[in-house]
Amino acid sequence: MDNMNFKKVGRMILIRVLLAPTVILILVSGTLVYYFSSYSRNQVKNELIRIAADHRCLIDQFFEEKISDLKFISSLYTIDEISKTTILTDIFQKLQKDSKVFIDFGVFDDKGNHLAYAGPYNLKGKNYSQTEWFKAVKNKGLYISDEFLGYRNIPHFIIAVQKNDDVRTWYLRATIDTFSFNNLVERIRIRKTGEAYIVNKNGIFQTRRRSGGNIMELDPDYGDYQIGDKKKASFTAGKKISEKYLYAMESLKHTKWVMMVRQEMFDAYAPLILSAIVSVMIILGGGTIVVIMGYVLASGMAERLNIMNMEKRQMKTQLIIAGKLAEVGEMSTGIAHEINNPLQVMKSEVTMIREIVSNIEHLVKKQESENLDMLKDSVDQIFIQIDRCGKITQGLLNFARKTESTIKPLLLQELLPKIIGMVEQRARVENIRIIQEIDQDIPEIMNDPNQLQQVFLNLLNNAIYALKGKSAGEIRIHINQQGSDVIISVADNGCGFASKNIEKAFLPFFTTKPVGEGTGLGLSNAYGIIKGLGGDMTLSSELNAGTVFTIRLPIETPTYKNNI
Amino acid sequence: MATTQLLIVDDEERFLKTTKFLLENKKCGVFTAINGLSAMEILKNKRMDVVILDVKMPGLDGVEVLRRIKKKHPLVEVIMLTGHSTTESAIEGLKLGAFDYLIKPCDIPILLEKVKEAHDKKLAMEEKIRQVKIDKIISHPLEVFEKD
Repeated sequence: MDNMNFKKVGRMILIRVLLAPTVILILVSGTLVYYFSSYSRNQVKNELIRIAADHRCLIDQFFEEKISDLKFISSLYTIDEISKTTILTDIFQKLQKDSKVFIDFGVFDDKGNHLAYAGPYNLKGKNYSQTEWFKAVKNKGLYISDEFLGYRNIPHFIIAVQKNDDVRTWYLRATIDTFSFNNLVERIRIRKTGEAYIVNKNGIFQTRRRSGGNIMELDPDYGDYQIGDKKKASFTAGKKISEKYLYAMESLKHTKWVMMVRQEMFDAYAPLILSAIVSVMIILGGGTIVVIMGYVLASGMAERLNIMNMEKRQMKTQLIIAGKLAEVGEMSTGIAHEINNPLQVMKSEVTMIREIVSNIEHLVKKQESENLDMLKDSVDQIFIQIDRCGKITQGLLNFARKTESTIKPLLLQELLPKIIGMVEQRARVENIRIIQEIDQDIPEIMNDPNQLQQVFLNLLNNAIYALKGKSAGEIRIHINQQGSDVIISVADNGCGFASKNIEKAFLPFFTTKPVGEGTGLGLSNAYGIIKGLGGDMTLSSELNAGTVFTIRLPIETPTYKNNI
Repeated sequence: MATTQLLIVDDEERFLKTTKFLLENKKCGVFTAINGLSAMEILKNKRMDVVILDVKMPGLDGVEVLRRIKKKHPLVEVIMLTGHSTTESAIEGLKLGAFDYLIKPCDIPILLEKVKEAHDKKLAMEEKIRQVKIDKIISHPLEVFEKD
């Protein structure tokens, strides 16, 4: 019951000890992770957007350059001049020297007829009037195509410009090397999975994507992001939970293409995830340490409380005993005194009877000698019984008062073996071992050897009585010094006291012995003597396990106490 | 031997009566007093040798009576009779000049024995005083007239 209580107290302490640090730990790390994650999420996103924007600029610049090249060429020549293959080839070769971006050049009239061609394919003479690009450039004056296969059957795209001479309209077309253009985009790399690519409005790849997707194929992830009319955006998309990719997109200026940059979420947020893992581990590790410390602290405290409670209970019992004894002491002196007075009267009366009897003895001796003897015997018996009463009241008074004591220096380590010697013979007969654990360095104490002898003889006799009939009887006498006191304990492994009797053990007339064997005054007198000598006497006992009497005596001269 | 003039002081009337009867048979002149004040009254009027005094009495208690007796009649021997054998009252009584103390219940023969001893002591004391006076008169006879 009590133990349960202390376990509860321990748990309560543990919870209270743990609550504050746990809450703080979680709050601090939670806040840190939260701010760090939102900060780094922004960082990652912004980085992606910046890369997309940079490369969009780069591509736009590329197109502008090529367009201005074409416009410059077309402004230099008339259709008649440029239609001559030699001139066109000359221009083409000069441009090829600087950069191999242009694969070929072609000149077309407004009917779509291929008038002149410079490049590796033989396309001269074909008519392009029905092709997509020709219609578009006719319409707008400038056109950049998507990637397509065309007559040559390899992916390429073209830039075409319109030139209006005074009389005629003609067109200059250049094919762009897909591979050098593709390299501009494909080599972009961010950490492990970050990549860039260009798609048109329908999600068809215009450059290769490193993680899968060839030119002119449909982006399989196009369903995850719909470009619509957005100029620029960043978002997360993906089929898996928490969306697999982080995207950033920028629309190109001169075409309807879109620059896409994307990175796997797990890769983009790797530092963030790492920090979260670390902080969770710190919480777990720190938490474990806190829990262990808390547990040690709480169980230690509960243990201490338990001990304190036990001590308190013991002290309460001792106090109850002392209080009871004081009360009984007071009462018994009163009773003893009140009984002694009538006893004195009775004694006088009986003395008188005896005298009267002896006065009239000679008158009745002859006739009533038998009755006379009986009367005398009866009178003697009254004397005996009055004396018996007197002894009982004396015993009571001994319990409550101290007899005159003669205090002198004595060595317990010499006195006790002597006292033990007095009962040793009897103990041997009963098969009882007496073990002396006496510290030989105990200083001389100031006390009354005669009274101490009475006390210890009483305790030893009690112990022998308690061990009667027991096979491995043992009496253990232990003496040691504790500060300014000497502690003497007399322990036996005999029958012990029932717990309800412990409180009564020192009460006068309380005895567990059968009627006639004990007066019940031995222990109470011993207690009275020890108290009178400024000491203290306690007992602890367990039924059928044994009894320990502990006596504490001051080393210095005892302060006299009148009463217990 | 001369009879002992004895005064018994106790609050138990029956004890006084019986003890008086018993001790008168033993060649004692016995007077009794039921409390301290009447004891002092008797002492004022009669020459007493020994007083048996109960320690615990209502009114004046034994120790106080002893103190007064020793003040007014220093030669009277007092035997304390106590039911309450505290060492304190015994020691105090002896310090105040009591001859001895007895613990109740005590045997009448023992009591008588103590009375005899006390009376002997008193007689010895008186004898000594007389001797001193005689010595004084012998050495300075004229002083007899100078002072009583």
